[in-house]
Amino acid sequence: MSGQTGTELRASDAALIQKIVQRDESALAALYDRYASLLSSLLNRILRDTQASEEILQDVFFQLWMNAAQFDPARGSLPGWLVVIARNRAISRLRRHNPSDGEELLETSVIVPVNLENAITQQQLLGRVKGALENLSTEQRAAIELAYFEGLTHSEIASRTGDPLGTVKTRIRTAVESLKRNLLS
Amino acid sequence: MNGHPTRPEDFDLYALGILEGEEKAAIESHVPTCAECAKKLAEARGRITLLAFSAPRVEPSAAVRERLMRQVHAAAQSAGVKHARREPQRAGGFFGRWWAAVLVPACILLFFVTTHLRKENERLSRELGQQQATLQRQQKQLDEALHAQALLESKDTVSVALAPQPGMPKGDVRVMYNSKMGMAMCDGWVEPAPANKSYQLWLVPKEGKPISAGLIDGGPINPWTVKLPQGMAAKAFAVTLEPEGGMPQPTGPMVLVGPVT
Repeated sequence: MSGQTGTELRASDAALIQKIVQRDESALAALYDRYASLLSSLLNRILRDTQASEEILQDVFFQLWMNAAQFDPARGSLPGWLVVIARNRAISRLRRHNPSDGEELLETSVIVPVNLENAITQQQLLGRVKGALENLSTEQRAAIELAYFEGLTHSEIASRTGDPLGTVKTRIRTAVESLKRNLLS
Repeated sequence: MNGHPTRPEDFDLYALGILEGEEKAAIESHVPTCAECAKKLAEARGRITLLAFSAPRVEPSAAVRERLMRQVHAAAQSAGVKHARREPQRAGGFFGRWWAAVLVPACILLFFVTTHLRKENERLSRELGQQQATLQRQQKQLDEALHAQALLESKDTVSVALAPQPGMPKGDVRVMYNSKMGMAMCDGWVEPAPANKSYQLWLVPKEGKPISAGLIDGGPINPWTVKLPQGMAAKAFAVTLEPEGGMPQPTGPMVLVGPVT
């Protein structure tokens, strides 16, 4: 958190984005300090490679610096966008895809159901997400994790687990329904 | 299918990235045309995003932040005032204009490449200049060697031994002179000249004033040739002690002298 003023720590994402548009480097540092830990955890979980994770982490925030003028807070959540972009890039690297072959998602809207701007909310969310995942069966949780952290499709999960494709589809659909209920409750 | 997805979970499954084939294509073809479904997909993305919170906590190293801020600072300096004046462009969508992320690093790269090439060009120009100077020097040495060879082989060349004068620095200098070729070659040795003084070789014609044939360094003389007026009838060659750098006409004492016979 070095180098930030109290104002920057309290400022909303939208206000910090406006400052970035005006080329305020400390505003980017504030956003980095707010979300780097979340993204770093995600990237390391996907890639299990610290160096590759840190490269993507830096690249995502640099892209934010370069494209801040195009960001419209009314259309979505900044941390949501950061997570989607970071995951997309990590999965592309993991699967040796060119990011341009997949969804670069520069035009993507992400509406997160909670406000992630303060650390307390993030902390509360940790417990809620873990609880929602624990409510799933072992097979459901494994399938969701293969999809989210490894980027596998239905048929790839079926191939990996040896289960019939129909079973995998049903398992994941019910898992998603359960997550949706528990996360929003 | 080109209508609304029949099951609400389809958006979550698409956001999870698990759909493939026709199921995936159906969503991708419909959503851009339907604001309602686009909003549902954005909400599904937001829900799926929350799964990131289940990853074990891993803090990034401080070096990442430092590298990022250095990169940002360099980009900001490179973009300069032009970047700061740019107006926000909403029409491009959530995060359009991806090319800016490519263009600025490309400009920075281009700057460094250009600087490198300019320095390389300067270095090569210097080397070329040095090589041209070396070539000219070698060409001159070759010309002198050819002239010296011609001088020594000519039957019209005479050898003049210059004897030291009493009370003057010692030396043993010989001049090979060819009047028809208008050329002389000098070798031998002479004591080092006193401070701020130079030895100067003169052709003393039978008529008229002495003609300078160049300066001689003290110590062993590296044989050298000198052009003189052709057809000049020489009476003698002499070495005088002159102010450093030589004089148009002899002013100092005669150190060595030898008659042309």
